[in-house]
Amino acid sequence: MSEKTGSVLVVGGGIGGVQTALDLAESGFKVYLTERKPSIGGVMAQLDKTFPTNDCSMCILSPKLVEAARHPMITMMTLTEVMSIEGEAPNFTVTLKKHPRYVREDRCVGCGLCAEKCPSKVSSEYEVGMMQRKAIFVPYAQAVPMKYSIDASNCLWLTKQRCGNCKKVCPADAIDYEQKEVIEKVHVGSVVLAPGFEPFDPTVKREYGYGEFKNVVTSLEFERILSATGPYQGHVVRPTDHKTPKKVAFIQCVGSRDEKVGNPYCSSVCCMYALKQAIIAKEHTAGFEPHIFFMDIRAFGKEFEDYRARAENEYGIKLYRGTRVASVDEDPESKNLTLRYSVGSDVSEQEFDLVILSVGLEPTKSAKEISDRLGVQLNPYGFCQTTVYNPLETNRPGIYVTGAFSSPKDIPTTVAEASGAAAKAGKHVFENRISIDDVVKETVETDVKGQEARIGVFVCDCGINIAATVNVPSVVEYVKTLPNVVFAEENKYTCSADSQELIKKKIKEHSLNRVVVASCTPRTHEALFQSTIKEAGLNQFLFEMANIRDQCSWIHMHEPEKATQKAKDLVRMAVAKSRFLEPLSKSRLGVTHSAIVVGGGLAGMTAALDMAAQDFNVDLVERSDKLGGLALNLMTPEGGISPSKYIADLIEKVKADDHITIRLNSTIADVAGFVGNYKVKVKTPEGEKEIETGAIVVATGGQEYKPKEYMYGVEKNVVTQNELEDKLANGRFDSKKVVMIQCVGSRNKDVPYCSRVCCSKALKNAIEIKKKHPKTEVYVYHKDIRSYGFRELLYKEAGELGVKFIRFPEDKDPVLSKDGAVLKLVAHDQILGEDILVKPDLVVLSTGTRPNPDNEELAKMVKVPLSKDGYFLEAHMKLRPVDFATNGVYLCGLAHWPKFMDETIAQASGAAARAMTIISKEFLETQGIIAAVNEDVCDGCGVCEPVCEYRAITIVGSDSNDPSKLKAVVNEGLCMGCGTCVAACPSGALEQKGFKTSQILAQIDSALEGGAK
Amino acid sequence: MTDKINIAIYWGAGCGGCDVALLDIDEKILGLGEMANIVFWPIAVDGKTKDVEAMPDKSIVATLYNGAIRNSENEHMAKLLRQKSLLMVSFGSCACYGGIPGLGNVTNRKGIMDLVYTQLPTSDNVEKVFPQIITHTKDGEIDLPEMYDTVKTLDQCIDVDYYMPGCPPTTNLINEFLGVVEKHVKEGAPLPPKGAMIASNKTLCDECKRKKSVKKLDHIYSPHEIAIDQEKCMLEQGIICLGSSTRAGCGAKCLEGNQPCRGCMGPTAEVLDQGGSMLSALASVLKVDDKEALLNENDIAELMAQVKDPLGTFYCYTLPKSIIKRKVTERKPFKKEA
Amino acid sequence: MSSDQAVHAEPKAAESGEFEPKLIVFCCNWCSYAGADLAGVSRLQMPTNFRVIRTMCSARVDPEFVLRAFANGADGVLILGCHPADCHYIGGNYRTRRRIALLRVLLEQYGFNPDRLRLEWVSASEGQKFQKTIKEFNEVVKEMGPNPINDE
Repeated sequence: MSEKTGSVLVVGGGIGGVQTALDLAESGFKVYLTERKPSIGGVMAQLDKTFPTNDCSMCILSPKLVEAARHPMITMMTLTEVMSIEGEAPNFTVTLKKHPRYVREDRCVGCGLCAEKCPSKVSSEYEVGMMQRKAIFVPYAQAVPMKYSIDASNCLWLTKQRCGNCKKVCPADAIDYEQKEVIEKVHVGSVVLAPGFEPFDPTVKREYGYGEFKNVVTSLEFERILSATGPYQGHVVRPTDHKTPKKVAFIQCVGSRDEKVGNPYCSSVCCMYALKQAIIAKEHTAGFEPHIFFMDIRAFGKEFEDYRARAENEYGIKLYRGTRVASVDEDPESKNLTLRYSVGSDVSEQEFDLVILSVGLEPTKSAKEISDRLGVQLNPYGFCQTTVYNPLETNRPGIYVTGAFSSPKDIPTTVAEASGAAAKAGKHVFENRISIDDVVKETVETDVKGQEARIGVFVCDCGINIAATVNVPSVVEYVKTLPNVVFAEENKYTCSADSQELIKKKIKEHSLNRVVVASCTPRTHEALFQSTIKEAGLNQFLFEMANIRDQCSWIHMHEPEKATQKAKDLVRMAVAKSRFLEPLSKSRLGVTHSAIVVGGGLAGMTAALDMAAQDFNVDLVERSDKLGGLALNLMTPEGGISPSKYIADLIEKVKADDHITIRLNSTIADVAGFVGNYKVKVKTPEGEKEIETGAIVVATGGQEYKPKEYMYGVEKNVVTQNELEDKLANGRFDSKKVVMIQCVGSRNKDVPYCSRVCCSKALKNAIEIKKKHPKTEVYVYHKDIRSYGFRELLYKEAGELGVKFIRFPEDKDPVLSKDGAVLKLVAHDQILGEDILVKPDLVVLSTGTRPNPDNEELAKMVKVPLSKDGYFLEAHMKLRPVDFATNGVYLCGLAHWPKFMDETIAQASGAAARAMTIISKEFLETQGIIAAVNEDVCDGCGVCEPVCEYRAITIVGSDSNDPSKLKAVVNEGLCMGCGTCVAACPSGALEQKGFKTSQILAQIDSALEGGAK
Repeated sequence: MTDKINIAIYWGAGCGGCDVALLDIDEKILGLGEMANIVFWPIAVDGKTKDVEAMPDKSIVATLYNGAIRNSENEHMAKLLRQKSLLMVSFGSCACYGGIPGLGNVTNRKGIMDLVYTQLPTSDNVEKVFPQIITHTKDGEIDLPEMYDTVKTLDQCIDVDYYMPGCPPTTNLINEFLGVVEKHVKEGAPLPPKGAMIASNKTLCDECKRKKSVKKLDHIYSPHEIAIDQEKCMLEQGIICLGSSTRAGCGAKCLEGNQPCRGCMGPTAEVLDQGGSMLSALASVLKVDDKEALLNENDIAELMAQVKDPLGTFYCYTLPKSIIKRKVTERKPFKKEA
Repeated sequence: MSSDQAVHAEPKAAESGEFEPKLIVFCCNWCSYAGADLAGVSRLQMPTNFRVIRTMCSARVDPEFVLRAFANGADGVLILGCHPADCHYIGGNYRTRRRIALLRVLLEQYGFNPDRLRLEWVSASEGQKFQKTIKEFNEVVKEMGPNPINDE
């Protein structure tokens, strides 16, 4: 095949692969998304909550999975393995092996009768063996696709030709024992690998007794214990006696930072998830007393340090810093567990009711296979080999990597990278982009005008989240008595894929023209249900939700009767509103196919180049007189190349690219317009220029903290790490005794956050000193060493080279003084428990990162928020890490949070990919919920005009014969649908579609039914 | 003439201005005379309640009822005339919205009686004599209509067919309505649908000739505080003008006289509560600037205190027809904020 | 931190005949509704006697809605929006607070205790503030007694 193809293969259906697939699909590429398991979702689907927002993991993930499954540009292939990839980008031929499901996907309705009758019980992978499933099963309740599959090795029919129950009971005749493996070939232009990771199996760490002592569980098991859908319905109990544990120990670094098991790296996420689990468990369990045993607490991400502080100070979670646990022993009577652990040279013992092993992340079991089959190199620890400056690239051109396959990482980093990989993969296929219209035929919309409301109501149990408190059957019975309700029923999970099919079926069966779902919050699930009813031919706005979980069952857990009454009221209110709902239409608006990148540092240039590579023009706006940003000052090589050298090369690339217009000494003066159609005023030395653009990438970077501490600026032998790098690179280093002080301007009262990069930077420079000047003594004074991921190897190397590490307490900074010509540093060594004195001839301050002071100004112009620390605040910390709530504006680099170069590069590519989901489109659809003017009433009084913050309203003439006759006009592209003007309108001429006065009044009246009047 | 129709005109709680307005239609009154027998019009024609009672049901084609329902007599006559009439027209602001008498709903019968009979500077009533519904005299009983606590609109008391707001309705509107009735009588042309409002659908800004620019107010003034620009939008000058929330049809006469609209025509069909709607509009156009985030809730309360009497200002004509309708009394006293 | 309290906050069995106010709560979609959701996700327990109505912005809350709620017998109306400077729609909440300030004066003229109407700022991360606001407002309204609209 030599013909170019607009398709991309994404391997792995976890959150990373799903995000890549969605971004590619939204950018006009066809995607083959393969997953070895019977359903997508990956490990995130097994988690109860996510840090640091404590969002319900499944709740935020599930809409994405459903979106991927139903996206017309994505072909989802489960139970599918990649056997080989031949050829070169953009002409790869991929051989796929599709394993038999033994259930026909086109027929299975996910009813579960088969599993009910299946006699073969096996331990459930999803529940990490703590529950059983049948041989015919779906991995979890909200699995996508909601199609059963048979586990051949445990099926009686497939192993012994006995039983056959499932085939007998299946109402859809979906069981097909004859299915065979199928080999399929697809042609793609590029490939993204996102096979994820495996949790470390702690059985090999015999000293912790996992497998032997039942009350020693892994963190993933504990995650299931916490989950309402897990083995104990979310009640925290221990396996042996199902009693609520009081004293609980978390042992960190199990299978991480551990050479004995071959994993010298840090798994990056365990500290945070342990804190999260401790907090969540404590919130739900009276008397729960968590103790966390760790070496360094690695809370380096955005607002992680706040989370850590809250865990410790507000929740009273006990943290044992600098601790290694030597062994765990069980009391055979009580089944309690005794931990022996050491702090420094002291050995202590404590008894606990439950022990949780915070297991690390290992390469996926299939990593080796993937490597062999696809010719992709792995690093010594079995993860995919990447480099600092090409964090998303494998050794094979056109094959990219994202997520934990390249290194252990958390969800937001994975998601940002996943978008980044989409930008990279798109580069090979952009010439064959296709429009959504080529793929989707608009569903014919049923005309409901003039029809009396026929309302269908679906009430969700949410497993037990709702049903445990609210009497759902009685709500359903009540709802059936309401006028216009022609159908109502209870669902275990209304959000599951099979429920979507069911809703569509019921719409047809009962000629429903309004749908109400009573479940969780519209903020996460409205879009899902709206697209479901759209597929059934109903206008998506003929939908209303009643939030009977987040705002009812969860907040009234001890009052089932009142909660049930409230649920009835809430559903009645939703039904009342739904009677007044009207079909709304969205109009299409053109898109400017170019972008503006604000900030010409590493992030900005990377994003600009990624978009230029797909043939989009980019204006790169830089406030200073040169490109390069902070990285220009970084000298010490990484992967053999110094950052300043890499940046210099990057600047040349940017300059040479015809797609990129560089605007130096320029700033943004004003931003008007809206997603796809921004008009940005740029102040340039040649005067103000208005640039039309489709998307804006904010890559304005951050600042290095200029220290006031430790005599900096006064004493010449006190320097910053950057100044040290300069000395080292230019042969001006001759010190004999170097002291590095960490957390200068970070993790203090004024700036509580961790600046993330300073520890590893110190390690890197300490190693550089030791390599060049082996006799120089180097001391690193720190609170924790936060060298996460493979940077842990720097820590190890530094230690091996003789760098000495001294841990000082959180609240007791070292004191530097000068005695004559001699510098004296006194610090409290937490391990030794005493003050120690060093006389260094060079003090190096590891200074933190600060947000740009002018962030606020730009934030106002693009209408986006800042975080409490002054960095830009993304739309969602977990799953929208480079987006803003304002559509068409994206974020990367230090403007988001301090980070390393590889992270910045991946995130910048991510922002570019997200921007390309906009600027690659031929058109965008307007929002349905916007203001509308009733011209029969409006006289153009003008009250609304200044009230609109988006300048979406203008007053124009309404009668060509009479210039005094006026009316208001709403620009549908600019209107954001807030409704401020509607409430201001004195004549009642303005209405907010979807939130009309009549609709809201119906809710009010319904809420107070039985009240006065 | 046998094909003349019967028309009645009655006043409830009103000032008589509506009756005068009918006479103000000049020579058109002659046309009315040709078309109709005026069977009952207490202000102009002699007639007694018993005469009306004697009429066959539905024998009056149209009754123009002006004034609100303030007492038992208003109510009795409204019901009686409803019984005798084919069409009931709520004539003028008091009948439609309660009008100025409707402001009595900020108090109740006792409040009004106390005020009028004991508290006014001119009252000289040491014995505290109040009018009684029934008074026994040596010549027998005399009775007065019972005054109600709450003023009602005509349609809160009886079924109404048409509404013609205005304080009073303008000649144009009256003529328009009479024209429609005449056409119906003479040519059999259809009548407007039940519930129709004999006025414009738009607001007063549609009829107002003043120039509009940007509605961002710095300050609110009373009309006497500034020299009002004749050409410029009244609201934009900082004067509370209810025009933008008031139904058109009056021809913006007050504005022509350089006075702000007080809202006598009531709200448009899209608005439930004229006062609430205007309150929201006015609050919305008070300027928001960069320093807004620094203002606290007291600053805002102070800013809004420029509107001296929101109830009296925004509900001058419509209190009985508003959502709340009348003053309430909390069971527990509460501290008034400073 | 009241995490333990949250779990143990057993409902006080409503003594028979005790006045339980009917509260209407308007929440803006972006901050306060999310804050209310967060209260749920965090399982913060609170009285049941409030009903949330979601609008996109607190500035959509027309004074007519508040008046209608009181006319229909609501004992208290709570309007929750994004904090000043945090409005998802930039300055919607500024309009809201002007309107509510004036509306409170009007309510007082109508004879209502103006504290039956309250405006509070609750952000998406303030599940606890949502809980606290509901609890407090409930107590305040309980103290006032029932809406007098039915008394006349």
